[in-house]
Amino acid sequence: MIPDLTLELILYSTALGLVSIGLAGLVLSRHSFRRVLALVIAEAGANLMLVLAGYRWDAVAPIVTTLGKQPQMVDPVPQAMVLTAIVIGVGIQALAVSILIRIHQRYHTLDRNEMAELMDAEIAATAGTARDVSQESPLGERPIPPITGSAVQARGGRS
Amino acid sequence: MNEHLMLTIALPLLGAFLLPIIMRSSLAMGVWIGPAILGYGCWILGNLWLHGNGQPFSIAIGGFAPPIGINLYVDAMALLFAFATQLLGLIFWPFRLDQDTPKRQALMLLLVASSTGLALSGDLFNLYVFYELVAVSTFGLIAASSSGAAYVATIRYLILSGIGSVLTLFGIALIYAQTGTLNLAHLAQLAPDQLNNDLGLAAFLAILIGIGVKAELFPVNTWVPEVYATAASRLSAFLAGLVSKLAMLVILRLLLLIFHQPEATQVILILGILGVISGEFAAWRAKDMRRMLAFSSIGQLGVIFIAVALPDERGVLAVLALSLHHMLIKSGLFMLADHWGGSLDRLRGLAATSPLAGGLFVLFALSLVGMPPLPGFWAKFTLITELAGQTDPLYMIGLLVFLLATVIEASYLFRVAAKMYQTKPTENVRINAPDSGGLSLTTASLFGAGLIAVTVMVSPLGEALQAVAAQAQDVDLYIQTVLQQPLGERQ
Repeated sequence: MIPDLTLELILYSTALGLVSIGLAGLVLSRHSFRRVLALVIAEAGANLMLVLAGYRWDAVAPIVTTLGKQPQMVDPVPQAMVLTAIVIGVGIQALAVSILIRIHQRYHTLDRNEMAELMDAEIAATAGTARDVSQESPLGERPIPPITGSAVQARGGRS
Repeated sequence: MNEHLMLTIALPLLGAFLLPIIMRSSLAMGVWIGPAILGYGCWILGNLWLHGNGQPFSIAIGGFAPPIGINLYVDAMALLFAFATQLLGLIFWPFRLDQDTPKRQALMLLLVASSTGLALSGDLFNLYVFYELVAVSTFGLIAASSSGAAYVATIRYLILSGIGSVLTLFGIALIYAQTGTLNLAHLAQLAPDQLNNDLGLAAFLAILIGIGVKAELFPVNTWVPEVYATAASRLSAFLAGLVSKLAMLVILRLLLLIFHQPEATQVILILGILGVISGEFAAWRAKDMRRMLAFSSIGQLGVIFIAVALPDERGVLAVLALSLHHMLIKSGLFMLADHWGGSLDRLRGLAATSPLAGGLFVLFALSLVGMPPLPGFWAKFTLITELAGQTDPLYMIGLLVFLLATVIEASYLFRVAAKMYQTKPTENVRINAPDSGGLSLTTASLFGAGLIAVTVMVSPLGEALQAVAAQAQDVDLYIQTVLQQPLGERQ
């Protein structure tokens, strides 16, 4: 059954869709700047959801007038909250971009995996320990030691 | 007196914005402002604790009575954590003087102000704002180490935290759409009718994952080892010791007041168990001190999550005891690790060069594992007896995992202790012994002394904590205190 395509339904699915697109972008992209942009999209979805939470379709903007009877008004609280959330979001995005600039100055890359590898290497170098196992080049001993040539021969095989 | 409490949030905020300006004109005056503000905050909160009547009260901000206005809710639990915030802020104050001092100190004041707000606020959206403030100031402070690794750790933390805040905001929107209020007391009143359903559960899960980022909850804790390994030790101590507990406190409050679904506690229990397993095994494998502490912190927070999932008053008591104990121990251990950034092998023979540091490490390790006279034993004992009293098999799994984790913990901590007390340091290995007069060693000794003091006074402190837990558990008291009216009159 397909529900009636009202404006409300479209807006709610847009909000959910924006959050999903954002989260998918965060998981799938490798470039860090794209991940920041994906975060922006997801935030827009959450903000839209918050606006919809207090919106009334049969009401006017919440401005108190002295003229006679007050008409039905939209709930102003979520709109104030969305303003706060947008401001916080902008601040965090600006911070993220400035940190990305610093990273690019140091490491000359914004690729997620390369960044992580370089960071691991630097942490290990500062601590003076061996690198932890990385996805690209696993370190450490083999769980079963390889059979040496002489042992193979002793078993009757060819080395 | 009660209204002065707002100053514990307002003054550090004001200081944070004025500090860079004041320091530009007079550095000598500027360096005293931060400690003075935090000292005053400690004094206000300590006074309230000692001379208050023990009853919770609520402060309406801006002259609007809740649920329309935002309020601060002050019960013993909130007061305890607010006091701990200001005190630890003072202890871990970034004294070091260089050209970044004004920025670092301003950010630290911001962090303390918002953490205090997190402990005291009684409004869901207000909690979200404080939570974001904590996040922003933390990012700045981590990036202040200005190494490449610290920048990468910051951006990775920032993105994860960003996902968390989107989810939190989404959860808040769901709750608001359903109930039309965000005041915690009002929500607690409406929750049994309106949020005891799938929508409420979805909102809770979104908020749990969102706030769980700071509380080192299992799937969203990948930032922990990176950040604690790259940030300054004093900051790591503050984050691991305090900020994670504050996020935990928010989750506990929401669970106690609003979300009573059995599924909610089950999810927390399962994630807590997974956190314990992953954290402790990773700590066992870690080769350097800071990462070992970071992973062990994930494990410990997992244990606290298991305690959060316990249904009644003894569960809240276990959460409080474990949180405060971990706050003391992890702060001390991170201060010891200030000079031990390197690989664990460098600690060989350390006890001979610095007996105090070695002794403190053993003391902290014993308490963390749960050696009987030390407070760690009583915290863990409370949890074990409570877990054993549950009938649900999931709690039995929690108990088993918890006991297993204790064994692993003992194994890796005493491996390090044994290394320290080996007599012969291997040749051409540099020992990173803390210099005996150093600030970090003094701070660590302070936490060691605190631990011993708690050991001596464990029985009166236990009773006090029990009263705190009973008060935090009382939902009706919360609603009555905030809304100033008997239950059920509203609507």
